[in-house]
Amino acid sequence: MATKAVMENKYNHYTPGKVVRIIVLLALLLFLAAPLLWQISLAFKGPKDDMYAAPYLIPVDPTVDNFVQVFKRLPILFYVGNTLIVAALNIGGNIISGCFAGYSLALLRFKGKGLVIGLLFLSMLVPGETILISQFLIIRNLDLQNNLIGVALPGLVSSMNILLFMNAFNAIPREMIEAAEVDGANIWQRFWRICVPQVKGTMALVGIFSFMGSWNDFLWPLIVLTDDSHYTLTLGMSRLQGTFVSDPRVVAAGTIVALIPIMIFFLVFQRYIFNGLEAGSVKE
Amino acid sequence: MKGTIKKAVALGAAIAMMGGLAACGTSSSSGTTELKFQTWNLKNDKFTSYFEDLIAQFEKDNPGVKIKWVDQPADNYEDKLSTDAAAGELPDVVDMGPEPAYTLAKAGVLLNLADAAPEAEKDFLPAAWSAATFKGTDLEEGTYGFPWYLNSGPTFYNKAVLSECGITVDPNNPPTKQDDIFAMADTFGKKCGGKYALTSGIPSIQDFGMYGVQLMNDDRTEFTFNNEKGVEFVQHYIDMYKAGAFTDDMLNSSTSGESKSFNGGSQAFMNGNAYSVDDIRKNAPKVFENLAITDFIANTKPNMFMEMLTVNATSKHQDLAIKFARFVTNSDNQLAFDKKANVFPSSTGTIDDDFFNPSDDTMDAEAMRMSADQIRNGEIWGPPQFTSACSTMLREEIAQALQGKITAKEALDATVKYCNERI
Repeated sequence: MATKAVMENKYNHYTPGKVVRIIVLLALLLFLAAPLLWQISLAFKGPKDDMYAAPYLIPVDPTVDNFVQVFKRLPILFYVGNTLIVAALNIGGNIISGCFAGYSLALLRFKGKGLVIGLLFLSMLVPGETILISQFLIIRNLDLQNNLIGVALPGLVSSMNILLFMNAFNAIPREMIEAAEVDGANIWQRFWRICVPQVKGTMALVGIFSFMGSWNDFLWPLIVLTDDSHYTLTLGMSRLQGTFVSDPRVVAAGTIVALIPIMIFFLVFQRYIFNGLEAGSVKE
Repeated sequence: MKGTIKKAVALGAAIAMMGGLAACGTSSSSGTTELKFQTWNLKNDKFTSYFEDLIAQFEKDNPGVKIKWVDQPADNYEDKLSTDAAAGELPDVVDMGPEPAYTLAKAGVLLNLADAAPEAEKDFLPAAWSAATFKGTDLEEGTYGFPWYLNSGPTFYNKAVLSECGITVDPNNPPTKQDDIFAMADTFGKKCGGKYALTSGIPSIQDFGMYGVQLMNDDRTEFTFNNEKGVEFVQHYIDMYKAGAFTDDMLNSSTSGESKSFNGGSQAFMNGNAYSVDDIRKNAPKVFENLAITDFIANTKPNMFMEMLTVNATSKHQDLAIKFARFVTNSDNQLAFDKKANVFPSSTGTIDDDFFNPSDDTMDAEAMRMSADQIRNGEIWGPPQFTSACSTMLREEIAQALQGKITAKEALDATVKYCNERI
């Protein structure tokens, strides 16, 4: 009975504060979603639609021709495949390296640990552009230019992700680990069976960020790949933009096509994102 | 950190071996010489066939030669060029504008064609050849690219916006000078302040040149556009802004923002291209109903933009690379490209082809005739030493001057100082 009363109170009673909150949230939603909605509507607009007139959402001359054009002009699925390869390498690399390094930094004792953590923080302060050329020289010396592995390689390990994992491993109650130790579990068993299952949220988070990172990256693939035989999606999509004139409707359709996989990914994994974001800071 | 890099390298090498994915090299096989030719955002359904035919023709005329054509996307092209140059990966023949070419020429990676192919000069318009000829600090004076296509266009105006804002334009005697536009600002601002913009908000270095400002000293070692004439020019824009002839968001807008604002029907004047007529007809039909064109508005000579083909100084097949670059930029091949892209030739005499002088009286034809005329008389105003970082700096400083935070003189002094330090 008591819980029911609380529930009713929660859902039926709108205080002025709540109303204001909802209004603010709706305004934010409009603000964030409007450009996307406009993009979607633009992708379906035909030649008779005036794109520069006051914004309207329902096309006067609706058509799917823009999408047909995108698929006709570009081997989009090939580009998507290349991006997925890079994304898969990135996700795997970051989760594995982050797990091992994060565990060591959080739970093992060794000389120079503070120094390593300090260096990891420092490396986050180095802007990517400044090391672009040296990074490319390394890739070239490994003979990996114009190769998807060369695109993925520098992103396989990231200090941000190692620190996220370190935080997550730190949050595991020491009593649990000590109990396992008393029961005779060796260090690998403690790692695999006790600790790794506790950081699944962080794994999901790191996986999602790595996926988004490799999905959206433009500059590094541009530098590594010399021709379109290995293009990733972002590079391939830029072909829709003409040097002299381009049709904004087709560009919009291309953007929507590129957006679909990442949206599916988000819908499937969104609940893990918020779990993961909290995992490092809240003790269970 | 060192550990992680090592780990990454080792891991990557292991994966590469497992995958058996060897990078494909560009080494030539027995008996054939391979040249690498790079264009900038020209591989698409419109131009691919042109380049394929061009390459097939050259390979037929030069047995044993194979041209490998690569194309780079529009964005971040300068980053791509500089990393490739630093890594020694620059293709043999590369399409670029004068600004990145100046930087690369200074770095010593571009061939001086005034030395290597002096006979080429007579084949190009003097304005184009001289824009490809660089002079400056730490640089051997020379010509560092074959001029390729040129671009220019008429000034477009929206009759409806002008008449709503109290300005009548005589179609037989339209404005032709930047001063004419400045004179309209008061009336325009009073009637339409905040609603419409008279022209694009922030002038570029080319606009300074067209106004008659001396941009650099004769030795090309220093910028000089903070002189009296330059200050006077910026002051005109400050006055226009005070009169309300710009909308506030124009302070942030780039050139593409300018065409959006014009196509959206909220700007009166825009400098366009020959192909803009068709673009506006298709994409902004409401503006097209009120569209009119006039000669490119400039106090002195109108502006042109130029692309050129540079030759890699470290290329193993320099003579062949020069031969191919000259083949692409010869009169016939330029003409064929210009017809496809609606841009203009830099080769001598090609501009007199009938294509550039159509006789019908559509607006497209008129725009074409006007543009062709500008190619004959125009000037490539942007100094190659004026990098994109300088453009950004100039834009930001002038935006502050328009808002009254600093004076015109201060804005230009700061930009000139910044650019001179990096020249």
